[in-house]
Amino acid sequence: MYIVLMYDIMMDEKGAKVQRNAFKICKRYLTHIQKSVFEGNLSELNLMKLKKELNLYIRDEKDSFIIFKSRDEKWLTKEFLGKKDNKTSNFF
Amino acid sequence: MGETFYIFKDGELRRKDNNIIIESLEGEKKNLKAEVAEEIYLFGEISMNTKLLNYLSQLKIILHVFNYYGFYSGSFYPRESNVSGYLLVNQVRKYDNSEERLRIAKEILKAASYNIYRNLRYYNGRGTDLANPMREIQSLTNRLDLCTSISELMGTEGNIRKTYYSSWNLIFKEELFDKRVKRPPDNMVNSLLSFTNSLIYTTVLSEIYKTQLNPTISFLHQPGAKRFSLCLDIAEIFKPLIGERMIFSLINKNQITEDDFDRDSNCLYLKDSAKRTILMEYDKRLKRTILHRDLGREVSYKYLIRLECYKLIKDIIGEKEYSGFKIWW
Repeated sequence: MYIVLMYDIMMDEKGAKVQRNAFKICKRYLTHIQKSVFEGNLSELNLMKLKKELNLYIRDEKDSFIIFKSRDEKWLTKEFLGKKDNKTSNFF
Repeated sequence: MGETFYIFKDGELRRKDNNIIIESLEGEKKNLKAEVAEEIYLFGEISMNTKLLNYLSQLKIILHVFNYYGFYSGSFYPRESNVSGYLLVNQVRKYDNSEERLRIAKEILKAASYNIYRNLRYYNGRGTDLANPMREIQSLTNRLDLCTSISELMGTEGNIRKTYYSSWNLIFKEELFDKRVKRPPDNMVNSLLSFTNSLIYTTVLSEIYKTQLNPTISFLHQPGAKRFSLCLDIAEIFKPLIGERMIFSLINKNQITEDDFDRDSNCLYLKDSAKRTILMEYDKRLKRTILHRDLGREVSYKYLIRLECYKLIKDIIGEKEYSGFKIWW
């Protein structure tokens, strides 16, 4: 399953902690492509694991996470305006 | 299917934030998503520590190491977690029973030579006259059935490969390839073959790791010490489909030319950029899918390798007789 995840975290007193942890968790499963945006291919199981880990930190009334799902990467075209990058490449 | 990462830059690989991170000497960083990574190929000079190896082992990620010249040096093979004593005992028994061993070895070679035949047939249908080598390979394949010992099988296989290789110049439409030379390979095509074969070998190893099979006990090759010979057995079947087809297309499309090799070394060493081109193509090929007839769903070439392991397991535990993978499309 192809996933784009993005979040908004309210930066109040506890915000920094939530943000720090959310970032660390997300980048273990997905590629960090922009400030608070991640993308990648995940299995159903891995997505559940990711959500479970995130739920430990998300504050229901303050933070918002959005997950866009697509069955396959091929059903999605990615277009760049401005700088192109190849952060999702498996070659380094 | 997990992801595979290919690292060409020099730098340091370490564990950070419960994740794997590579930092190049220039200070560039990349996250290798720990939860989805399956294999990591290292081509650059990388330093790392046991903290990382422990973490890799915990996540069951295999690390394949290639030396400065691009030759396979070895793998970090995490502690086996899929073990089955029952299967091991039976695998050894199968090996020890000369009749059974011969049957499995024959099946592997029959599949391999059929796939070789299919490669030739493909190019024959595209305007290269390969009728003679095709006929020869067919008759040699038929002779496999009559072999009564492993060494006889190996001999026939050698003849099949020889005929096959001798037709390569027709496919390239150029005099590029004379005969297979190893240790060291002496021209462009031989070097390419050695390189892709080592890639296939590592892929097969990664797939065997996910099954309960023991990679050291093989049927066709002699289970020698110091190497995972079952990988060689299974790789035999997939070399024509994955490796050799890729070589034909790389050369015929001029993606790889002699300029991509270090001429001073007699075309022994691949340049870095060329290694990259080959690996990108290789990765693409492993991800290519076909509709599986029995499973009724799309499976990738890489998964076909795992299915081959499962078929072997079924034979070993006496559930269903092994029949080698033959290209059917």
